[in-house]
Amino acid sequence: MNEIGGTPLFFLEFGDIVVYFTPFTLTLFILALIFTVFVLVSRPERQIDIAFGGDAFYDKVISLSELRFRRFMSIACGLACMGAMVTGDVFDFTLFVSLVGICNVGIVAAVKSRHVQNAAYQYGLVALAGTVPLFSAAAMVAATTGTLSMLELAKNAVEIPLAARALLVLGVMGEGMAPFYAAKAEMFRAPGAPYVIMCSLSSLLIFLRVAEVILLL
Amino acid sequence: MIAQLLFAVFFGLLLLGIHRKVIARIQRRPGPPVWQEILHMLKFSFKTTWVPKTASAILFVGVVLVAIGIWTAALFVVLSGGSLLILFAIYMLHKIVEHGFGLSSGSPYGKFGGVRSVISAASEIPLFVSVAAIAIFTHSLLISDIIAYQALNGPLLFTIPLAAVAMYVVLLSKMPFGPFSIVESKELVSGYKTEHFGLWRAGLEVCNGLKTYVLLLTFILVFIGGLPIWLILIVMVLILVTLSFVCALSPMLSPYDSVTVQTLIAGIMVAYVALLGVMS
Repeated sequence: MNEIGGTPLFFLEFGDIVVYFTPFTLTLFILALIFTVFVLVSRPERQIDIAFGGDAFYDKVISLSELRFRRFMSIACGLACMGAMVTGDVFDFTLFVSLVGICNVGIVAAVKSRHVQNAAYQYGLVALAGTVPLFSAAAMVAATTGTLSMLELAKNAVEIPLAARALLVLGVMGEGMAPFYAAKAEMFRAPGAPYVIMCSLSSLLIFLRVAEVILLL
Repeated sequence: MIAQLLFAVFFGLLLLGIHRKVIARIQRRPGPPVWQEILHMLKFSFKTTWVPKTASAILFVGVVLVAIGIWTAALFVVLSGGSLLILFAIYMLHKIVEHGFGLSSGSPYGKFGGVRSVISAASEIPLFVSVAAIAIFTHSLLISDIIAYQALNGPLLFTIPLAAVAMYVVLLSKMPFGPFSIVESKELVSGYKTEHFGLWRAGLEVCNGLKTYVLLLTFILVFIGGLPIWLILIVMVLILVTLSFVCALSPMLSPYDSVTVQTLIAGIMVAYVALLGVMS
Protein backbone atom coordinates (compact mmCIF):
# COMPACT_ATOMS: atom_id res chain seq x y z
CA MET A 1 0.00 0.00 0.00
CA ASN A 2 0.95 3.63 -0.46
CA GLU A 3 3.01 4.49 2.64
CA ILE A 4 1.90 8.07 3.18
CA GLY A 5 1.80 7.76 6.97
CA GLY A 6 4.80 5.44 7.26
CA THR A 7 5.10 1.65 7.03
CA PRO A 8 1.97 -0.12 8.41
CA LEU A 9 2.69 -1.67 11.79
CA PHE A 10 -0.38 -3.78 12.44
CA PHE A 11 -3.58 -4.95 10.68
CA LEU A 12 -6.73 -5.98 12.55
CA GLU A 13 -9.30 -7.67 10.31
CA PHE A 14 -13.05 -7.74 11.01
CA GLY A 15 -14.19 -9.72 7.96
CA ASP A 16 -13.69 -7.44 4.98
CA ILE A 17 -13.28 -4.38 7.21
CA VAL A 18 -9.66 -3.81 8.16
CA VAL A 19 -8.38 -1.56 10.92
CA TYR A 20 -4.74 -0.65 10.41
CA PHE A 21 -2.09 1.20 12.34
CA THR A 22 0.68 3.19 10.66
CA PRO A 23 2.99 5.48 12.66
CA PHE A 24 0.71 8.35 11.57
CA THR A 25 -2.65 6.78 12.50
CA LEU A 26 -1.15 5.29 15.67
CA THR A 27 0.09 8.73 16.77
CA LEU A 28 -3.38 10.23 16.24
CA PHE A 29 -5.09 7.26 17.92
CA ILE A 30 -2.87 7.49 21.02
CA LEU A 31 -3.52 11.23 21.35
CA ALA A 32 -7.29 10.71 21.06
CA LEU A 33 -6.99 7.99 23.71
CA ILE A 34 -4.93 10.16 26.08
CA PHE A 35 -7.36 13.08 25.91
CA THR A 36 -10.36 10.74 26.31
CA VAL A 37 -8.76 9.42 29.49
CA PHE A 38 -8.24 13.04 30.63
CA VAL A 39 -11.96 13.70 30.08
CA LEU A 40 -12.82 10.53 31.96
CA VAL A 41 -10.74 11.18 35.06
CA SER A 42 -10.35 14.96 35.35
CA ARG A 43 -12.71 17.39 37.03
CA PRO A 44 -13.43 20.69 35.23
CA GLU A 45 -11.66 23.85 36.33
CA ARG A 46 -13.42 26.56 38.40
CA GLN A 47 -13.65 30.05 37.05
CA ILE A 48 -13.47 33.01 39.35
CA ASP A 49 -14.23 36.59 38.30
CA ILE A 50 -13.17 39.57 40.36
CA ALA A 51 -15.92 42.02 41.34
CA PHE A 52 -14.34 45.40 40.62
CA GLY A 53 -14.25 47.94 43.40
CA GLY A 54 -13.87 45.51 46.30
CA ASP A 55 -12.38 42.27 47.51
CA ALA A 56 -15.35 40.13 46.44
CA PHE A 57 -15.34 37.61 43.61
CA TYR A 58 -17.90 35.61 41.64
CA ASP A 59 -17.57 31.85 41.43
CA LYS A 60 -19.29 30.32 38.40
CA VAL A 61 -21.18 27.20 39.40
CA ILE A 62 -22.41 24.70 36.83
CA SER A 63 -24.88 21.96 37.72
CA LEU A 64 -23.55 18.43 38.09
CA SER A 65 -26.08 17.01 35.62
CA GLU A 66 -24.92 19.40 32.89
CA LEU A 67 -21.27 18.53 33.49
CA ARG A 68 -22.09 14.81 33.50
CA PHE A 69 -23.84 15.10 30.14
CA ARG A 70 -20.96 17.06 28.63
CA ARG A 71 -18.51 14.50 29.95
CA PHE A 72 -20.57 11.67 28.44
CA MET A 73 -20.66 13.40 25.04
CA SER A 74 -16.91 14.11 25.23
CA ILE A 75 -16.11 10.47 25.94
CA ALA A 76 -18.36 9.38 23.06
CA CYS A 77 -16.61 11.95 20.88
CA GLY A 78 -13.20 10.57 21.89
CA LEU A 79 -14.28 6.99 21.06
CA ALA A 80 -15.67 8.07 17.66
CA CYS A 81 -12.47 9.95 17.02
CA MET A 82 -10.33 6.90 17.81
CA GLY A 83 -12.44 4.88 15.36
CA ALA A 84 -12.01 7.50 12.64
CA MET A 85 -8.24 7.49 13.13
CA VAL A 86 -7.62 3.79 12.52
CA THR A 87 -10.41 2.56 10.26
CA GLY A 88 -9.41 1.30 6.83
CA ASP A 89 -12.87 1.65 5.31
CA VAL A 90 -14.13 4.85 3.68
CA PHE A 91 -17.75 4.34 4.77
CA ASP A 92 -16.75 3.63 8.38
CA PHE A 93 -14.61 6.75 8.27
CA THR A 94 -17.59 8.87 7.17
CA LEU A 95 -19.74 7.25 9.88
CA PHE A 96 -17.21 7.99 12.62
CA VAL A 97 -16.76 11.57 11.37
CA SER A 98 -20.52 12.19 11.42
CA LEU A 99 -20.61 10.72 14.95
CA VAL A 100 -17.87 13.17 15.97
CA GLY A 101 -20.08 15.97 14.59
CA ILE A 102 -23.12 14.77 16.56
CA CYS A 103 -21.10 14.52 19.78
CA ASN A 104 -19.67 18.00 19.26
CA VAL A 105 -23.20 19.38 18.85
CA GLY A 106 -24.00 17.68 22.17
CA ILE A 107 -20.96 19.16 23.92
CA VAL A 108 -21.83 22.67 22.74
CA ALA A 109 -25.62 22.36 23.21
CA ALA A 110 -25.35 21.15 26.83
CA VAL A 111 -24.33 24.61 28.07
CA LYS A 112 -27.38 26.41 29.48
CA SER A 113 -26.88 29.79 27.87
CA ARG A 114 -28.94 31.44 25.14
CA HIS A 115 -25.88 32.43 23.06
CA VAL A 116 -24.34 28.97 23.30
CA GLN A 117 -27.66 27.34 22.39
CA ASN A 118 -27.86 29.58 19.30
CA ALA A 119 -24.32 28.60 18.33
CA ALA A 120 -25.14 24.91 18.88
CA TYR A 121 -28.21 25.24 16.64
CA GLN A 122 -26.20 26.88 13.86
CA TYR A 123 -23.40 24.34 14.17
CA GLY A 124 -26.01 21.55 14.16
CA LEU A 125 -27.31 22.80 10.82
CA VAL A 126 -23.78 22.97 9.37
CA ALA A 127 -22.93 19.47 10.66
CA LEU A 128 -26.21 18.13 9.28
CA ALA A 129 -25.51 19.69 5.89
CA GLY A 130 -21.95 18.31 6.08
CA THR A 131 -23.21 14.72 6.16
CA VAL A 132 -24.61 15.08 2.60
CA PRO A 133 -21.25 15.55 0.83
CA LEU A 134 -19.62 13.18 3.32
CA PHE A 135 -21.83 10.19 2.51
CA SER A 136 -22.08 11.22 -1.16
CA ALA A 137 -18.29 10.89 -1.36
CA ALA A 138 -18.43 7.36 0.07
CA ALA A 139 -21.25 6.47 -2.34
CA MET A 140 -19.29 7.81 -5.32
CA VAL A 141 -16.18 5.86 -4.31
CA ALA A 142 -18.23 2.66 -3.97
CA ALA A 143 -20.01 3.25 -7.29
CA THR A 144 -16.85 3.95 -9.30
CA THR A 145 -14.47 1.41 -7.77
CA GLY A 146 -16.71 -1.30 -6.30
CA THR A 147 -14.92 -1.21 -2.96
CA LEU A 148 -14.66 1.01 0.11
CA SER A 149 -11.50 -0.56 1.50
CA MET A 150 -8.69 2.01 1.70
CA LEU A 151 -6.11 -0.75 1.30
CA GLU A 152 -7.68 -1.77 -2.01
CA LEU A 153 -8.19 1.82 -3.14
CA ALA A 154 -4.54 2.66 -2.39
CA LYS A 155 -3.50 0.24 -5.17
CA ASN A 156 -4.91 2.81 -7.66
CA ALA A 157 -6.43 0.07 -9.87
CA VAL A 158 -9.37 2.39 -10.70
CA GLU A 159 -9.19 6.17 -10.85
CA ILE A 160 -11.27 7.81 -8.09
CA PRO A 161 -13.19 10.91 -9.28
CA LEU A 162 -11.78 14.21 -8.07
CA ALA A 163 -15.34 15.18 -7.06
CA ALA A 164 -15.45 12.29 -4.55
CA ARG A 165 -12.27 13.53 -2.86
CA ALA A 166 -13.53 17.12 -2.87
CA LEU A 167 -16.87 16.07 -1.34
CA LEU A 168 -15.07 14.06 1.36
CA VAL A 169 -13.02 17.11 2.35
CA LEU A 170 -16.11 19.33 2.23
CA GLY A 171 -18.01 16.93 4.50
CA VAL A 172 -15.18 16.80 7.03
CA MET A 173 -14.99 20.59 6.99
CA GLY A 174 -18.69 20.76 7.83
CA GLU A 175 -18.35 18.32 10.73
CA GLY A 176 -15.10 19.84 11.98
CA MET A 177 -16.35 23.40 12.44
CA ALA A 178 -17.16 22.89 16.15
CA PRO A 179 -14.25 24.93 17.62
CA PHE A 180 -15.33 28.03 15.69
CA TYR A 181 -18.86 27.78 17.07
CA ALA A 182 -17.51 27.14 20.57
CA ALA A 183 -15.36 30.27 20.17
CA LYS A 184 -18.28 32.23 18.69
CA ALA A 185 -20.43 31.47 21.74
CA GLU A 186 -17.46 32.15 24.04
CA MET A 187 -17.88 28.73 25.61
CA PHE A 188 -14.45 29.21 27.15
CA ARG A 189 -16.10 31.50 29.70
CA ALA A 190 -18.02 28.52 31.08
CA PRO A 191 -16.12 25.91 33.15
CA GLY A 192 -15.46 22.62 31.39
CA ALA A 193 -11.97 22.82 29.86
CA PRO A 194 -11.56 19.06 29.15
CA TYR A 195 -14.82 19.01 27.17
CA VAL A 196 -14.09 22.11 25.08
CA ILE A 197 -10.63 20.71 24.33
CA MET A 198 -12.23 17.49 23.09
CA CYS A 199 -14.25 19.61 20.61
CA SER A 200 -11.05 21.16 19.24
CA LEU A 201 -9.03 17.95 19.34
CA SER A 202 -11.62 15.82 17.52
CA SER A 203 -12.02 18.43 14.78
CA LEU A 204 -8.26 18.69 14.32
CA LEU A 205 -7.80 14.92 14.25
CA ILE A 206 -10.45 14.32 11.59
CA PHE A 207 -8.85 17.05 9.43
CA LEU A 208 -5.48 15.33 9.80
CA ARG A 209 -6.89 11.89 8.98
CA VAL A 210 -8.80 13.11 5.93
CA ALA A 211 -5.53 14.60 4.60
CA GLU A 212 -4.00 11.11 4.79
CA VAL A 213 -7.10 9.47 3.26
CA ILE A 214 -7.10 11.90 0.32
CA LEU A 215 -3.39 11.32 -0.35
CA LEU A 216 -3.92 7.57 -0.03
CA LEU A 217 -6.85 7.30 -2.49
CA MET B 1 18.40 8.39 21.77
CA ILE B 2 18.47 9.80 25.32
CA ALA B 3 21.74 11.61 24.56
CA GLN B 4 20.24 13.06 21.35
CA LEU B 5 17.12 14.11 23.25
CA LEU B 6 19.12 15.89 25.94
CA PHE B 7 21.31 17.55 23.32
CA ALA B 8 18.19 18.71 21.42
CA VAL B 9 16.65 20.19 24.60
CA PHE B 10 19.78 22.08 25.65
CA PHE B 11 20.73 23.24 22.15
CA GLY B 12 17.11 24.31 21.50
CA LEU B 13 17.12 26.36 24.71
CA LEU B 14 20.49 27.83 23.74
CA LEU B 15 18.97 28.85 20.39
CA LEU B 16 16.12 30.60 22.23
CA GLY B 17 18.72 32.37 24.38
CA ILE B 18 20.60 33.50 21.26
CA HIS B 19 17.25 34.69 19.85
CA ARG B 20 16.68 36.91 22.90
CA LYS B 21 20.27 38.18 22.80
CA VAL B 22 20.12 39.12 19.10
CA ILE B 23 16.78 40.91 19.53
CA ALA B 24 18.20 42.82 22.50
CA ARG B 25 21.35 43.88 20.62
CA ILE B 26 19.32 45.06 17.61
CA GLN B 27 17.22 47.12 20.02
CA ARG B 28 20.42 48.46 21.68
CA ARG B 29 19.85 46.66 24.97
CA PRO B 30 22.48 44.45 26.63
CA GLY B 31 20.01 41.56 26.82
CA PRO B 32 20.29 38.41 28.93
CA PRO B 33 23.18 35.94 28.55
CA VAL B 34 22.64 33.39 25.77
CA TRP B 35 22.29 30.53 28.28
CA GLN B 36 19.46 32.35 30.12
CA GLU B 37 16.75 29.94 28.85
CA ILE B 38 18.77 26.95 30.10
CA LEU B 39 19.09 28.66 33.50
CA HIS B 40 15.33 29.31 33.47
CA MET B 41 14.61 25.64 32.88
CA LEU B 42 16.99 24.56 35.65
CA LYS B 43 15.68 27.22 38.04
CA PHE B 44 12.04 26.24 37.50
CA SER B 45 12.95 22.56 38.01
CA PHE B 46 13.85 23.25 41.65
CA LYS B 47 11.21 25.83 42.56
CA THR B 48 8.16 25.14 44.69
CA THR B 49 5.44 23.48 42.63
CA TRP B 50 1.72 23.12 43.19
CA VAL B 51 -1.53 23.10 41.28
CA PRO B 52 -3.83 26.17 41.55
CA LYS B 53 -7.03 25.57 43.49
CA THR B 54 -9.21 26.54 40.53
CA ALA B 55 -7.41 24.32 37.99
CA SER B 56 -8.57 21.09 36.40
CA ALA B 57 -5.72 19.26 38.14
CA ILE B 58 -5.21 16.22 35.91
CA LEU B 59 -5.45 18.22 32.68
CA PHE B 60 -3.21 20.94 34.16
CA VAL B 61 -0.43 18.43 34.79
CA GLY B 62 -1.18 15.97 32.00
CA VAL B 63 -0.92 18.53 29.23
CA VAL B 64 2.71 19.26 30.22
CA LEU B 65 3.57 15.58 29.76
CA VAL B 66 1.70 15.50 26.44
CA ALA B 67 3.66 18.56 25.26
CA ILE B 68 7.02 16.92 26.03
CA GLY B 69 5.78 13.60 24.61
CA ILE B 70 4.68 14.93 21.22
CA TRP B 71 7.90 16.88 20.60
CA THR B 72 10.03 13.93 21.71
CA ALA B 73 8.08 11.86 19.17
CA ALA B 74 8.67 14.60 16.58
CA LEU B 75 12.43 14.48 17.21
CA PHE B 76 12.38 10.71 16.83
CA VAL B 77 10.45 11.01 13.53
CA VAL B 78 12.95 13.51 12.11
CA LEU B 79 16.03 11.54 13.22
CA SER B 80 14.64 8.27 11.87
CA GLY B 81 13.69 9.87 8.52
CA GLY B 82 9.97 9.22 9.12
CA SER B 83 6.92 10.73 7.45
CA LEU B 84 6.59 14.48 7.17
CA LEU B 85 2.84 14.00 7.64
CA ILE B 86 3.43 12.84 11.25
CA LEU B 87 5.46 15.96 11.88
CA PHE B 88 2.67 18.06 10.40
CA ALA B 89 0.18 16.32 12.73
CA ILE B 90 2.38 16.94 15.77
CA TYR B 91 2.82 20.59 14.85
CA MET B 92 -0.97 21.00 14.61
CA LEU B 93 -1.53 19.10 17.86
CA HIS B 94 0.72 21.61 19.59
CA LYS B 95 -2.23 24.00 19.22
CA ILE B 96 -4.37 21.68 21.31
CA VAL B 97 -1.59 21.57 23.88
CA GLU B 98 -1.49 25.39 24.04
CA HIS B 99 -5.27 25.37 24.29
CA GLY B 100 -5.08 22.81 27.10
CA PHE B 101 -2.45 24.83 28.96
CA GLY B 102 -4.64 27.92 28.78
CA LEU B 103 -8.03 26.46 29.62
CA SER B 104 -7.00 24.04 32.37
CA SER B 105 -5.88 26.69 34.85
CA GLY B 106 -9.15 28.63 35.18
CA SER B 107 -7.20 31.88 34.84
CA PRO B 108 -8.63 34.44 32.38
CA TYR B 109 -5.11 35.23 31.08
CA GLY B 110 -4.39 31.60 30.29
CA LYS B 111 -7.86 31.22 28.83
CA PHE B 112 -7.41 34.12 26.40
CA GLY B 113 -4.00 32.75 25.39
CA GLY B 114 -5.64 29.39 24.65
CA VAL B 115 -8.47 31.01 22.68
CA ARG B 116 -5.98 33.05 20.63
CA SER B 117 -4.13 29.83 19.88
CA VAL B 118 -7.30 28.32 18.41
CA ILE B 119 -8.28 31.37 16.35
CA SER B 120 -4.82 31.54 14.75
CA ALA B 121 -5.32 28.10 13.18
CA ALA B 122 -4.53 29.62 9.74
CA SER B 123 -0.83 29.62 10.69
CA GLU B 124 -0.80 25.84 10.10
CA ILE B 125 -1.91 26.02 6.47
CA PRO B 126 1.51 27.17 5.11
CA LEU B 127 3.05 24.02 6.62
CA PHE B 128 0.51 21.87 4.80
CA VAL B 129 1.29 23.80 1.62
CA SER B 130 5.01 23.06 2.08
CA VAL B 131 4.23 19.37 2.60
CA ALA B 132 2.03 19.30 -0.54
CA ALA B 133 4.67 21.06 -2.68
CA ILE B 134 7.36 18.64 -1.48
CA ALA B 135 5.09 15.65 -2.25
CA ILE B 136 4.54 16.95 -5.83
CA PHE B 137 8.31 16.98 -6.52
CA THR B 138 9.68 14.08 -4.51
CA HIS B 139 6.61 11.74 -4.71
CA SER B 140 7.26 10.79 -1.08
CA LEU B 141 6.69 12.25 2.35
CA LEU B 142 9.43 10.27 4.08
CA ILE B 143 12.19 12.62 5.24
CA SER B 144 14.81 10.00 4.30
CA ASP B 145 13.45 9.95 0.70
CA ILE B 146 13.38 13.76 0.56
CA ILE B 147 17.05 13.90 1.65
CA ALA B 148 17.94 11.26 -0.99
CA TYR B 149 16.05 13.26 -3.66
CA GLN B 150 18.04 16.39 -2.80
CA ALA B 151 21.33 14.48 -2.93
CA LEU B 152 20.53 13.71 -6.58
CA ASN B 153 18.67 16.85 -7.70
CA GLY B 154 19.98 19.64 -5.47
CA PRO B 155 18.29 21.46 -2.58
CA LEU B 156 14.51 21.97 -2.73
CA LEU B 157 15.18 25.51 -1.50
CA PHE B 158 16.05 26.44 -5.10
CA THR B 159 13.42 24.22 -6.75
CA ILE B 160 10.40 25.39 -4.71
CA PRO B 161 11.52 28.61 -2.98
CA LEU B 162 8.00 29.73 -2.10
CA ALA B 163 7.37 26.46 -0.22
CA ALA B 164 10.54 27.23 1.77
CA VAL B 165 9.14 30.73 2.44
CA ALA B 166 5.90 29.09 3.68
CA MET B 167 7.87 26.91 6.09
CA TYR B 168 9.89 29.95 7.18
CA VAL B 169 6.62 31.74 8.03
CA VAL B 170 5.63 28.68 10.10
CA LEU B 171 8.94 28.96 11.99
CA LEU B 172 8.36 32.68 12.47
CA SER B 173 4.85 32.12 13.85
CA LYS B 174 6.30 29.83 16.54
CA MET B 175 9.16 32.14 17.60
CA PRO B 176 8.70 34.13 20.82
CA PHE B 177 8.54 37.95 20.54
CA GLY B 178 7.56 37.67 16.86
CA PRO B 179 4.81 39.46 14.93
CA PHE B 180 2.46 36.45 15.36
CA SER B 181 3.20 35.69 19.05
CA ILE B 182 -0.29 36.71 20.15
CA VAL B 183 -0.73 33.64 22.38
CA GLU B 184 1.80 34.91 24.91
CA SER B 185 1.62 38.66 24.45
CA LYS B 186 2.26 40.90 27.42
CA GLU B 187 -1.31 42.14 27.88
CA LEU B 188 -2.10 38.52 28.84
CA VAL B 189 0.84 38.38 31.31
CA SER B 190 2.40 35.23 29.76
CA GLY B 191 -0.67 34.05 27.85
CA TYR B 192 -1.46 30.34 27.93
CA LYS B 193 1.48 29.58 30.26
CA THR B 194 0.70 32.23 32.87
CA GLU B 195 -0.41 29.81 35.61
CA HIS B 196 2.11 27.04 34.95
CA PHE B 197 5.05 27.56 37.27
CA GLY B 198 7.69 25.49 39.07
CA LEU B 199 8.22 22.04 37.62
CA TRP B 200 5.35 22.48 35.14
CA ARG B 201 7.02 25.58 33.67
CA ALA B 202 10.33 23.68 33.49
CA GLY B 203 8.48 21.03 31.44
CA LEU B 204 7.14 23.75 29.18
CA GLU B 205 10.66 25.15 28.72
CA VAL B 206 11.88 21.66 27.75
CA CYS B 207 9.04 21.48 25.22
CA ASN B 208 9.96 24.91 23.78
CA GLY B 209 13.62 23.93 23.41
CA LEU B 210 12.70 20.67 21.67
CA LYS B 211 10.17 22.41 19.42
CA THR B 212 12.71 25.03 18.26
CA TYR B 213 15.36 22.39 17.57
CA VAL B 214 12.98 20.06 15.72
CA LEU B 215 11.44 22.76 13.52
CA LEU B 216 14.82 24.23 12.49
CA LEU B 217 16.28 20.76 11.88
CA THR B 218 13.28 19.84 9.73
CA PHE B 219 13.63 23.03 7.68
CA ILE B 220 17.29 22.24 6.98
CA LEU B 221 16.77 18.54 6.15
CA VAL B 222 13.74 19.18 3.95
CA PHE B 223 14.91 22.26 2.02
CA ILE B 224 18.72 22.03 2.08
CA GLY B 225 19.34 18.29 2.54
CA GLY B 226 21.58 16.06 4.61
CA LEU B 227 24.60 17.94 6.01
CA PRO B 228 27.28 17.07 8.60
CA ILE B 229 25.98 17.71 12.12
CA TRP B 230 28.40 20.61 12.80
CA LEU B 231 27.20 22.34 9.63
CA ILE B 232 23.54 21.71 10.53
CA LEU B 233 24.10 23.43 13.89
CA ILE B 234 25.76 26.44 12.22
CA VAL B 235 22.95 26.74 9.64
CA MET B 236 20.41 26.48 12.48
CA VAL B 237 22.02 29.47 14.21
CA LEU B 238 22.11 31.45 10.94
CA ILE B 239 18.41 30.82 10.22
CA LEU B 240 17.61 31.71 13.82
CA VAL B 241 19.47 35.02 13.54
CA THR B 242 17.40 35.96 10.45
CA LEU B 243 14.24 35.11 12.42
CA SER B 244 15.48 37.24 15.32
CA PHE B 245 15.96 40.18 12.94
CA VAL B 246 12.36 39.85 11.73
CA CYS B 247 11.10 39.59 15.32
CA ALA B 248 13.18 42.55 16.50
CA LEU B 249 12.17 44.86 13.65
CA SER B 250 8.46 44.10 13.40
CA PRO B 251 5.80 44.93 15.98
CA MET B 252 3.54 42.27 17.43
CA LEU B 253 0.30 42.35 15.46
CA SER B 254 -3.10 42.60 17.09
CA PRO B 255 -4.96 39.25 17.16
CA TYR B 256 -7.26 40.35 14.32
CA ASP B 257 -4.35 41.53 12.12
CA SER B 258 -2.29 38.44 12.94
CA VAL B 259 -5.08 36.11 11.81
CA THR B 260 -5.74 38.24 8.70
CA VAL B 261 -2.06 38.30 7.65
CA GLN B 262 -1.66 34.56 8.28
CA THR B 263 -4.83 33.83 6.28
CA LEU B 264 -3.56 35.98 3.37
CA ILE B 265 -0.20 34.18 3.39
CA ALA B 266 -2.00 30.83 3.54
CA GLY B 267 -4.20 31.84 0.55
CA ILE B 268 -1.17 32.83 -1.55
CA MET B 269 0.59 29.59 -0.68
CA VAL B 270 -2.46 27.46 -1.55
CA ALA B 271 -2.65 29.20 -4.96
CA TYR B 272 1.10 28.54 -5.46
CA VAL B 273 0.74 24.82 -4.75
CA ALA B 274 -2.33 24.61 -7.00
CA LEU B 275 -0.22 26.17 -9.76
CA LEU B 276 2.64 23.72 -9.07
CA GLY B 277 0.14 20.84 -9.22
CA VAL B 278 -1.23 22.02 -12.59
CA MET B 279 2.28 22.59 -14.04
CA SER B 280 3.49 19.15 -12.96
